[in-house]
Amino acid sequence: MTTETFRARRPFTGLVSFLWTEALVQLHEELAMATSMLVQGVLLVFVWVLNPHLIGVALVGAVIFSVFAMGQRVLNEAAYIRIDHKANDLYLAGPLTPEAYFLGMSAGILVVYIGPVLVVGVLAVVVAHLAPATVLLLAGVAATVWLCSSSIGYVFSTAFRDNRAIWAYSSLFFNIFGVLPPVFYPLGLFPTPLHPIVLLMPPSAAAALVQSSFGAAVLSGSERALAVGGLVVETSLLFAFAVYWARRTVRGS
Amino acid sequence: MSGEALRSQDLRKTYVTKGAPPVQALAGVSMEVRRGERVALLGRNGAGKTTFLRIASTLLRPTSGSIQVFGVDVDREPDRVRPYIAVVPQEGKPFFHLTPREQVYTYLRARGLSREAAKARTESALQQMGLTGFADRLSITLSGGQRQRTMVATVIATEAPLLFLDEPSIGMDPFARREVWASLRGLTQRGSTILLTTHYLDEADALSDRLYIVERGRVLVTGTAEDLKRSVGGTLKVTIPGGRPHTERFASFGSCVHDGDVLTVIVHPERLGELMDLAVRSGLSATVGPVTLEEAFLRVVGRSINDD
Repeated sequence: MTTETFRARRPFTGLVSFLWTEALVQLHEELAMATSMLVQGVLLVFVWVLNPHLIGVALVGAVIFSVFAMGQRVLNEAAYIRIDHKANDLYLAGPLTPEAYFLGMSAGILVVYIGPVLVVGVLAVVVAHLAPATVLLLAGVAATVWLCSSSIGYVFSTAFRDNRAIWAYSSLFFNIFGVLPPVFYPLGLFPTPLHPIVLLMPPSAAAALVQSSFGAAVLSGSERALAVGGLVVETSLLFAFAVYWARRTVRGS
Repeated sequence: MSGEALRSQDLRKTYVTKGAPPVQALAGVSMEVRRGERVALLGRNGAGKTTFLRIASTLLRPTSGSIQVFGVDVDREPDRVRPYIAVVPQEGKPFFHLTPREQVYTYLRARGLSREAAKARTESALQQMGLTGFADRLSITLSGGQRQRTMVATVIATEAPLLFLDEPSIGMDPFARREVWASLRGLTQRGSTILLTTHYLDEADALSDRLYIVERGRVLVTGTAEDLKRSVGGTLKVTIPGGRPHTERFASFGSCVHDGDVLTVIVHPERLGELMDLAVRSGLSATVGPVTLEEAFLRVVGRSINDD
């Protein structure tokens, strides 16, 4: 070996391989997979019972909530690997780049859990009669919400030293952001003065944009700009920060 | 090109935690590991072994001092070092929801090996670690020792130029430990370098070309296991049950250590007959054995503690 063989690694080196590793891990967790849509299913039943006319909106919301909730899985998984298994050291003291570790883990979880979400998405298309443009919009905002929540999940995972604390906080955080605001129900049912707040929350901003595209919600120009801008800017910043943070936290200080 | 796999100069690390006094884990460790060597880092709990390994393996920043791996500064260019190292972390566990075969294979793939190479090395490592019978069971169903073997298999399969093993054989049965030793010897014969920590002194004795003993963040002693054993003042130990009250009579033969009522005397072979005669005349029984690395370690570290 010579010094010439020492080369800087390219960003995201090892991403696909670690994605496959994480997907394989998740595929062995049948119970988690089987229960992955439980909360969404219960909320859909509630909506169906209380107001069947809103089931289309709720199905769209279920898609968005599902990809948002993947961030919670990233949080739990990253923390579990680091705290309980110390396997992050195994991977990060090697050629796999930290950003590939973060994004590979997130994408591995996405690959495994996306199946049921797609089924709900198809139901949403059929029940709410979504136009192709709306379907594309739904796919786009869902992907954005996934990237945003995965970034949040990974960054948060580095803040804890005990998994027990994470279980409580992660559930609280993801339910407050994913269930409370108008994700499963139309934006119009939420108090108007609070619209700017929910339009800055990624899941409800995404839901509002899709709802408005098939007539389930009315957005003013400024509200639309707030939702789009907030979603794009927040996701870009959070993703960039997660990549930076992944690199930074490889090495303790 | 550096002839050393690893070199540290006056490496220091102080942990600073809010609301707690700073803890100095390394107080100026200078060390070198030559290519192809197996070097053991020994010390009590909290002596600084894991801190050193974490800094050397790019996972922790030092407070001051320098450390290089194959001539590359670990602190300034960790990205250039990482492709050439592999680590068994202390208390590390494989993914519980992967089988050992999947664990090793996917890890090698994540390190950039081709499918064919990863597959071949996976099978070889599983065989070396005696894991073929469990290779397709999820790790969650394996015993602690089998999981540890999976971790070691994962890392030795990399055949990385420099391996850091933090207590690699912890929890393993004696047969498994010997399988690990054989694998590690094979790796260094093929050109890898190994720096390991262990609390099993027989392991350090059997495996290491050289060893460093650290205590309170400082290197106390370095040399071969034989050097260390010789340094205690004899190559034989005589164990005398009930001999403690007679310590004064035996003190002239060499250093004496008590363990309860048992007296252990470290002695040179030429004075063994004389000592045994005295034991018999005193109505005591005595057994003779070679000085082990553990006794040497206890004496070296114990002396340091007493000096402090």
